[in-house]
Amino acid sequence: MIINKHQTAAKLVLALEGRLDTTTSPKLEAEILLIGGDVQQLELDFHQLDYLSSAGLRVILAAEKKMASPRGMIVTGVNETIMEVFDITGFSDILVIEGEGQ
Amino acid sequence: MIQINNLSKSFGTLSVLENISTEIKKGEVISIIGPSGCGKSTFMRCINLMEKPTTGEITIDGQNILAQKADVCRLRQKMGMVFQSFNLFSHLMVIENIMLAPLSLLKLPRQQAYEEGLRFLEMVGLGAKAMAFPDELSGGQKQRAAIARTLAMKPEIVLLDEPTSALDPTMVSEVLAVIRKLVASGMTMMIVTHEMKFARDVSSRVFYMDDKGIYEDGTPAQIFDAPQKPKTRAFIKKISSFAYDVQGKSFDLYELQARVEGFLTKQMFTEGRIMNAQLVCEELLSGILLRTFPDAYIALTVEYSDASGEVTVQADFTGEVYDLKSAACGEMSLAIIEKYAKDISSTHREGKNTLQVVL
Repeated sequence: MIINKHQTAAKLVLALEGRLDTTTSPKLEAEILLIGGDVQQLELDFHQLDYLSSAGLRVILAAEKKMASPRGMIVTGVNETIMEVFDITGFSDILVIEGEGQ
Repeated sequence: MIQINNLSKSFGTLSVLENISTEIKKGEVISIIGPSGCGKSTFMRCINLMEKPTTGEITIDGQNILAQKADVCRLRQKMGMVFQSFNLFSHLMVIENIMLAPLSLLKLPRQQAYEEGLRFLEMVGLGAKAMAFPDELSGGQKQRAAIARTLAMKPEIVLLDEPTSALDPTMVSEVLAVIRKLVASGMTMMIVTHEMKFARDVSSRVFYMDDKGIYEDGTPAQIFDAPQKPKTRAFIKKISSFAYDVQGKSFDLYELQARVEGFLTKQMFTEGRIMNAQLVCEELLSGILLRTFPDAYIALTVEYSDASGEVTVQADFTGEVYDLKSAACGEMSLAIIEKYAKDISSTHREGKNTLQVVL
């Protein structure tokens, strides 16, 4: 999985390419840990993400907790399958998801 | 059309085929399946005398091809053959390859051979490649050209010896599509193949070859869904399932996912369904079992049933009674599995847990 980082002012975008699963989720976890106090907004861009498992969900939850108010987090580019996983696990109620399904 | 009586073939002291008797009727499409090295190709090559049987009789339209006075060339002309390695002449253009036999054996006028050859090339989708040389074609195109070459002789039966085995997986379907077209035209065919789903779809009859002969013979439904004899059952089970051993939580997930993908692609699953199966495997193993038992040795089996179209993922491991549905950790994983599964069951027998998820 490739993570493309892009930061403008206080907003950080992490664009994921490939799969977020047991093997690759530590990579995202490491990126989340690196997020400093200067970042007020986090966007997880899932346009190029094909696959998400519960291992990925745990890291996303940790990110959500880190970016709790007054900071913020948004997930974008979620495809149908990944939206399904968010719905079944109740994550669609916890996360701010832009675009389809919300 | 073809009557085979007591056919045996040995290479020196090695006996490969023993006492095979069967009949092939006009219009039948017979797939020949079986383990590697059991004589499938040898059997088919005996029929057109590319191999000389040691004993036995092969009668084609009433004429014994093995008799002294048999006109072997004439009888062979009735049978076309498509080979695993295509066997096109590289020094001739594709259209010249197609025309060669009709010109020299059927003595067709050049113009007629050319026009007919072009028509056969168009039938296999290679009209634009008539003037190309075989080296300029992909594997799939070469095989389709080889099929056109075979058809140009207007055979009564076409024998195909593992027509897609030497092809890149991406080219297999184009060749299978041409073979399907041929089946639809009513051609009598025998196909030695490892493409089981294809064999099941197009054949009217299946020979499972083992033990030096036709071990079991039946309709595709009989052989693939309800094999009667033990070796057939073992073979069908083997090709319709695969096993993967997982030792502890640092197992190679990607190797498993690749196996799942390879296996289900052969069953003609869509990308979406394959991902769902992979997700269930990951959630079952990494999400639930290995979080509860990090060092466990789990024997995973993924089985596909053609009759129901269902995939069953089974995990076997030793330990105390364990119920998947009441998994302490892994509620997210369980929710995901429950979404995609038709059925989930946990059974315990003699110290061993068996969890089954049916997709």
